[in-house]
This record gives sequence, structure tokens and C-alpha cells, in this order.
Amino acid sequence: MAIRVKCNCGEGSCPEWAIVELQGVVEAQPGFKDRLQNLEIGYLCRPSSQEVYTFTVGYHELTGSKVPLKKPLLVLKKIKHQDVDQSSDNNNNCRVELEVIGIIRQRILFKTRPKALISKPQQVAKGRGNALGSVPQN
Amino acid sequence: MQQLEEEISSDPSRLDSPARITIPVHESGRDRVMEVPQSCYRGAEEVLDLCPGSSISVAYHPLFGSHDDLILLELDEKLIPDVIHQRVTLRGQPDEDAVFCTQSRTYAIKFVGNSNSVFLIPPSDQSKFYHNRQDCDGKDYSQNVVASVIKVAPGNMELAEVAPRLDKLKLLLSENPYSYEEEVGMDCLEEKEIPRTGLYNWDDIINKIQASDDELMSGLQALSAVEINGYWRIVDEKYMNTILRMLLHNSVLNDWSLSSLNEDEVVTVLELDGFPRALTYHCLHVYGSKVDENGKSCVWKLDERRVCIHFAREILREGKRKMEDFMKEWMQKIPEGMQASFDFLEGEVLTERIGIEKWIRSFSVSSLPASPADRFSILFRERPKWEWKDLQPFIRDLKVPGLSSEGLLLKYTRRTQPTPNAEPILSAR
Repeated sequence: MAIRVKCNCGEGSCPEWAIVELQGVVEAQPGFKDRLQNLEIGYLCRPSSQEVYTFTVGYHELTGSKVPLKKPLLVLKKIKHQDVDQSSDNNNNCRVELEVIGIIRQRILFKTRPKALISKPQQVAKGRGNALGSVPQN
Repeated sequence: MQQLEEEISSDPSRLDSPARITIPVHESGRDRVMEVPQSCYRGAEEVLDLCPGSSISVAYHPLFGSHDDLILLELDEKLIPDVIHQRVTLRGQPDEDAVFCTQSRTYAIKFVGNSNSVFLIPPSDQSKFYHNRQDCDGKDYSQNVVASVIKVAPGNMELAEVAPRLDKLKLLLSENPYSYEEEVGMDCLEEKEIPRTGLYNWDDIINKIQASDDELMSGLQALSAVEINGYWRIVDEKYMNTILRMLLHNSVLNDWSLSSLNEDEVVTVLELDGFPRALTYHCLHVYGSKVDENGKSCVWKLDERRVCIHFAREILREGKRKMEDFMKEWMQKIPEGMQASFDFLEGEVLTERIGIEKWIRSFSVSSLPASPADRFSILFRERPKWEWKDLQPFIRDLKVPGLSSEGLLLKYTRRTQPTPNAEPILSAR
């Protein structure tokens, strides 16, 4: 089969997606494993005008930077069309299309090991009220 | 086609032992109930254009999931315009690894895994992900600027240029070559509803062959295929022979010059002899080239080399021949005005000595597989040792992206030179 790669972006206007990439795995508390939707992962912060970022996840702080990708990544979406009009045709007509829905040119990469923030929890909780200050339950 | 090779990426940013970070339980706004009917989730823009001194909350998207239908494809900047202008396709049968085709090139697709956590954040106006706005609108996140992660990408697809996979093309078109019998059959049977198998039109071919449009077109030309009634066909050798002979016969009768054949005249005369215009035209294409195209009528010149090869093949089709017999018969068959040269048969025949006699037999490069590994394996099965000048005609058409012809030889052959002055001998690796 031949799958056409569709693109409705038009010249130079592909919506840009972002990647936040970090070492290893982020694990939710066991009680939230199956319902991650809406769960906050952490805070991304850009302390200065440099392209240096911190990512605070719970009591961990990661330091990283924004780096352009060597080659861009396209975000493709696979779309399956069920051809209903040709019901007489017994071979299952399931047309697949790929559509370009975005492009990624840079990522914010955290490649260092996390720094523990336990000694100064106020910093994490600052201005966030009850949100991040909550103690992990287990 | 869906099967993907799992490979570990060589991402230098990866540490040897991955970190494990646990998120404290905190649902952003899950238990708040303020109504703010406004797009609450921000996206990639906020992450990428984060102002100095500010921060943004990163959360799982309301529709966060594995989203296997979202694929990341890494590709060269230079291919982006092809994608934007919708000039690329993926091709392959369900049991084949898919290839990525531009107008003129073919690329293999490979999945490269990444053990880092790659949080994918769409831009805020990706309406595609907001099928159910309620999910989003019912809650208040407007106080927090939130970047939402739609999926954790396990890796991405990569492209590597490859040679087109054209071997199957010949098999397909050989299923049902166009023959004289079919020609006659079409005339007397009014009913066109004869069951037709093994016929392929352009769309069938691009669905079955993993090559770009341009590569397919040159593949079809290399096979001397012709489009007849919408289907791409190879014309049966015997039938081609008949047409060519008739053309040559008529040039003698009508005093045509083989180096300046008037297309209209040739086609009209052969039509009277019962050959369809399309086939005569095809014959001119296969054995000649256009020399002049002024106004309506074209002038063709028959190619000495191609005509001579045709008659050599004709003779050797029955099997091997003694060299002198072959040469005698070949010279007889060559049309007047043409000069046969044994050099024409490079890449078409093999000669061997049996006792004091020299024999010749058909061994055509066009019948050999296009993949280098298969090609060399057949060649070395044919002969364990080759001199370079003998081998060269059988491999010069091999093209592997990123590998020079020397590279090919290094990869597939062993070179020996008994004495410094002797011709190098190539044998299997």
C-alpha cells in the first residue's frame, strides 16, 4: 500500500511542539498510576535570560538547557479511514493516512542527576500554597 | 510494515543508570471547581518562549495517554519542503518494512528507542486534541500557566536512504507479458471481459513496489515496459522480435534509412501489417532514439548496439553455442548498414573454453538481482574467480547510497594478485 503523508500546514507554518526531556523515569505515586491525566509533574523555570532551565519535580530539582535538535522531528498522526461506501468489496478497506500536525525543532534537555531540595522546601512551595507543599502520601 | 526494529539510541545525554523521580501526589486543580470557560491549557509556545524569571507548571494533559497514533519522524531539513508540499508517501506491503519515498528517492524507516523520558507538549491550539472541551473547560487552571504533556514518546523514526526495491517489479510484469496471441485475441473477441490476471496499472505498482516515482519510472524503462490500455506490460520477446523484423523488412522494401526513420510513416506502414501503433512506437523506443522532433513528425534512429544485442539474445535463447557458429549466425542476422561488435555483448554473455573450443552463452546483467549481496552471490556461484574486466559489466549498475563502487568491492569481494604485473583476481569474501 501507499500512504500519502498529508500536510495542511502550509509553507513555514507548521505548529511547533515542544519536548521536555529528562533522564530516567518520572513515577507517580502508586495511587495515581492509572489516572495521570491532569496530574502536575513539576515546575519548569527559567531563572535568567540564559537558556538555562530548572525543572522541579517534587523535592527534586533538575538543571538543563534548551538545545536545538540536529534534525527536526515531525509529529505525524495516523488516521484510519473505514471506507464504508464500498461495502461490496470484501477486502477490508481500511485506508491509513498520515498527517503532519507539528514539528519539533528544540527541546529542553535535563541531563543531570536531580538535586535534592529537602533542605529548603520553602523554595519549592513558594507562592504555590497548598499545591506543591503537600507531602507525598504513600 | 508496523514491525519496527527496537534499537537503543545512542543519545549522549543518557546516563548509565537512569534516575527515578517520584512525583508527589498533586492534582493541579482537580478538586477546585471554579468556572472559567477559557482555554486553560497552554502549550509548547509557553515552554519554548518562557520569559526569563518566570516559570510554568508542567502537567499531564487531560487526554494524556500512549497515543500510539502519534509518531515522531526525524528527517533532514532539506526534506521538509517535500513533506509540506505533500510530495512524500510511505510504501510497502503489510509484511514489508515501510519505506519513505520522495519524488526521486527512497528511504528506509527505522525506529530508534530512547530511554529518556521525552515529554511531548503540543501547542495550545491543537484542536485535534480537544475533542471534548468539557474536560478542559470545566476546570480552572487559568491562574496557573500550564504546559500539558500529551504523551511520553518512547522514541522516534529515522530515515536512511536506500536503493529502490525494484526486483519485484520484474516479477510482477513477467506474470503476464503482452504477446501476439493476446493481440490477435483482442481483435476477434468483442467481449473484453476475459479474466485478466497479472495486469498492473501505475497505482497497483506504487502500492506493491517500494521505490519513489522517479525510480519506478526508470525501473520500468530499464525493463522496456510499456503502458498498454492503462496497464504496464513487458512485451513478450518473440513479439518484439516479430515487430523489429517487420520494421527492418519494411525499411528494405521502402528504402528507409535506419538512422532516419519517419515515425508517422513507420507506424502507418506497420499498422497495415497488423501491428498496433502503440507497439510500433514502443519498438522504436526500445531499439532506437529520437533524433529530430521538428513539427509534428518525429525522426528516429535505430541504435546499432541495442539491435545487435537483440539478435544475439535471439540466437542464444536456445542455449549455449560454439563461438564461431554464433558469430556466423549473428553477422547474418544483423541488418545491413549496421556493424556488430563483440564489445556490444558486455554484460550480456559469458564465454568459456571447453577443450580447444570457445563457447558462448547468454548471461544478462538485466536478469540479475539488484541487491548487491544477492548479485555477488550469484556471480560467484557462476564463477568462483573473476578478472576485473569481466566482472565489471555485471556490477556497474549496482548503486548503494553511501557506498562507492570501491566500497562495494571491498565489502563483497576478495582481491588477489598473484604477481605484481598480473591482472587482479576477484573472488568471494
